[in-house]
Amino acid sequence: MANSPVMKFNPLTLKKIRRFKSIRRGYYSFLIFIVMICVSLFAETMINKRALIVHYEGEYYFPTYGDMIPGTVFGLDYDYETNYRQLGKQFEAQGKGNWILMPVVPYDAYENDLRENEYPPFPPSLKDRHYLGTDTVGRDIVARLVYGFRIAIFFSLALLLVNYTAGVSIGSAMGFWGGRFDLFFQRIIEIWSNIPFLYVIIIISSIVVPNFFMLIVIMAFFGWIGMTWTMRTVTYKEKEREYVIAAKALGASDWRIIFKHIIPNTVAIIVTFAPFSVSGGIVALTSLDYLGFGLPPPTPSWGELLQQGWANMSAWWIVGSVVTAMVLTLLTVTFIGEAVREAFDPKLHTTYE
Amino acid sequence: MNKFLRVMIRTVIVSVFFLQSVAFAAPELPKDIEWLTNDSDPVFASPEAKKGGTLHSSIMTFPMTFRVVGPDSNNSFRSAILDNQLDLIGIHPNTENIIPELATHWAFDKDKKTMYFKLNKDARWSDGKAVTADDFAYTLEFMRSKHIIAPWYNDYYTKEIEKVIVYDDHTLAVVSARAVPDLHLKLGLSPVPRHFYGKLNKNFVRKYNWKIVPNTGPYQISDFKKGKYVRFKRKKDWWATDLRYFKNRFNVDKVIFNVVRDINMMWEYFKKAKEDVFAINFPSYWHEKTKIPVVENGYVHKIWFFNNTRQSATGMWLNQDRKIFKDQNVRYAFAHAMNIQRVIEKVLRNDYFRLEHGFMGYGRYSNNAIRARRFDLDKVNDYMKASAWKRGGDGIWEKDNMRFSVEVSYSIDEHAPRLVVLKEEAKKAGVELRLQKLDSSAAYKKVIEKKHDVAWMGWSTSLRPQYWEHFHSVNAHKPQTNNITNTDDPEMDKLIDAYRNSLNEHERVRLSLKIQEKAHEIGSFVPTFMVPYVRQAYWRWWKLPNPPGTKHSSSLFDPFGSTTGGLFWYDKNVHEETKQAMKAGKTFSRVTIIDKTYKMKLPE
Repeated sequence: MANSPVMKFNPLTLKKIRRFKSIRRGYYSFLIFIVMICVSLFAETMINKRALIVHYEGEYYFPTYGDMIPGTVFGLDYDYETNYRQLGKQFEAQGKGNWILMPVVPYDAYENDLRENEYPPFPPSLKDRHYLGTDTVGRDIVARLVYGFRIAIFFSLALLLVNYTAGVSIGSAMGFWGGRFDLFFQRIIEIWSNIPFLYVIIIISSIVVPNFFMLIVIMAFFGWIGMTWTMRTVTYKEKEREYVIAAKALGASDWRIIFKHIIPNTVAIIVTFAPFSVSGGIVALTSLDYLGFGLPPPTPSWGELLQQGWANMSAWWIVGSVVTAMVLTLLTVTFIGEAVREAFDPKLHTTYE
Repeated sequence: MNKFLRVMIRTVIVSVFFLQSVAFAAPELPKDIEWLTNDSDPVFASPEAKKGGTLHSSIMTFPMTFRVVGPDSNNSFRSAILDNQLDLIGIHPNTENIIPELATHWAFDKDKKTMYFKLNKDARWSDGKAVTADDFAYTLEFMRSKHIIAPWYNDYYTKEIEKVIVYDDHTLAVVSARAVPDLHLKLGLSPVPRHFYGKLNKNFVRKYNWKIVPNTGPYQISDFKKGKYVRFKRKKDWWATDLRYFKNRFNVDKVIFNVVRDINMMWEYFKKAKEDVFAINFPSYWHEKTKIPVVENGYVHKIWFFNNTRQSATGMWLNQDRKIFKDQNVRYAFAHAMNIQRVIEKVLRNDYFRLEHGFMGYGRYSNNAIRARRFDLDKVNDYMKASAWKRGGDGIWEKDNMRFSVEVSYSIDEHAPRLVVLKEEAKKAGVELRLQKLDSSAAYKKVIEKKHDVAWMGWSTSLRPQYWEHFHSVNAHKPQTNNITNTDDPEMDKLIDAYRNSLNEHERVRLSLKIQEKAHEIGSFVPTFMVPYVRQAYWRWWKLPNPPGTKHSSSLFDPFGSTTGGLFWYDKNVHEETKQAMKAGKTFSRVTIIDKTYKMKLPE
């Protein structure tokens, strides 16, 4: 693996990875985290109101992905999307050999499961397969949590990418060119970082309702600052190294030196910051949603669940599940972050040699 | 010579003044007017009412000023002050006839712009001075003054009220700038004490921020602490105590408003009997949060009182300037795709009622034959197919690059549960709703600039239905008007113009019914809910008359309102009994009153 041309790591990196693996807590957290993301990616097959497989009059249907299948296809009397839970019961009652396979949680994140003479929130129930109960409008909490996680984590990763691309490029440019360019950007950043960013986001999103990508753009607008200072300092140090001078002597452009030589050598620092930025992104999105200024309803969101939980303390399962989910996720990410930091600690390697 | 000239000029000036004052001082009252009064409508207060006690209530914020005009005066506390300022005449809350307040008699002039009033000779300001006709003349002077910094009032009292004519201390006439229907709703002015304000100057706004202005109503502010509380005390010998429609009303001695900044805190105070009354209109309060010992043990009573008053036009307003809503079939289909009934049943616990059209509860002016379009998938299909739309792969209707997907703008967080249910149900009908929650001012701006697809909102009510603002083409296709559906229909315009210009009540009623029919036919408004009742919880030592309120009561424990307020009273014996029972752990039977005396007749 290490010898394959695609995955060729230098020995130092391999050592870091080995070191990371040896830190049990962080490594297992990392594995758990990867599993969580993978599960959320295929959430449709586990948490969905659409059936996995329908066997109807000798034919198989796989409704999970793709267009909706109207009730008429299964001999029902309506044109809108089939209610598979009901269909399942009907098949059972008819006993004609038709059958249906539902996902583990047979609800999606948007559907209101409302009942006669009972009002949501409904407490957790194995029988109804609401394993963590429902929220105040009868939506399944497991579904809201998982789909909400998927949005939060990808939001956070995308935000990280945008922030770091901008922050790292500007930071290294400042460090590399120095002089007036550096001075100018330092002042810009100082002014920028004095803007109370949460308020600005709230103001912006109360005027225009942001969608996923717009919210990333708005947040990145203020989020890129953090990386610049560190990158600037590191670049100042790196650019005096011999390999940079050598590259210059060979006639490499500034662009090439920054992106091909300096940044790969500072990747250790970038990587150690990343997990903490991920958890920061999740927290930021959740708090915006909590305040009602994040993604528009009915997008599944942890912040909105938190808000509901706060307003309905007697429905302990709402606030209980979302707080547990948040604590677990943030803990996992933080453990990863700590382990990465330890594994990439240069002091450790120097004492090794 | 010089001296002579000066004397001459002075004489001329004096005589001009003299003549002028004579000319103004003796306007003649027309001979052929017919004085009217009302001493025969039923009284609605209880003869069993006793005086005494203190009502503890709360306000969310302390008012920024006690002034009722000028900067910062438009706060919610203003009504507590204004309600203690009587008008010339009032409206009977059940019969809607004119009843006396400061005036004992009134008369209409044939010109349909003038009303005459005879003042009650007993009427007194709270400082003991008599209320005179001149105080009404001063109302105009005051309201027109630029020193009060209230452009709207300046404008209204200049353009709408032409003048006040003083015949003698107790007789006056108020003249409207033009003939209008329902003149009495406009000309029953409220007096302003000239002896208190005198000549206004530019210090007005600052000087009167915390001044307690003499009033004519039953209560006056006795003391206050900024940011903490305001206390009102009943006047010992209020001049109107024994008037027919004020008798046995305004019974408590003191009313205390404490500042409590959070509704949950208010509820806690109420549970500890530090507040006497709590509004429990919300289903969560009525059904869940009142499942507490003080209610179960019968110390606190619950009442559900149905009134029959004007309902806010609440619902979904479709912007007909959007391409998709230009087609009437699509508008109808949209209405049929909204499962309002399910929201009422499943989210609002059957506590809200379906609003049938935008102008319910206006008495004869409401067309009770109109039914809002109900959720009906077949009708959606028919209308959409009639306009050649087809269902797409995801079940949503499509036609020439258009999807039946519209944005619904709303601004109240608590409405999200209603909207998500509507959204899920609409999917079945092949309509996609994209919910857009905006901050209230941003939502208002978006709608008033006609940039919305569908606006989820309600309008406040007025005494008579107002159509011109909402449905006349003059107000369509341009920003900053209330025609947010951009309704532009020549036939509608004709009806509205006729309605606005008519001074004949029968004709106006007939036109009103017709306009509502037309509005239903256009289908640009999908009516949603109405709440034709009030629900309150109160400690058992508070007593209410029978029936507990009036047709137009919006609270049963409003201490001041001259039309419907002050009907309740305090029973000291019951209070003592309850206190002892609570100490001894004795309980009473649970009391939940549901009063349907005035319930709106809602056809099934």
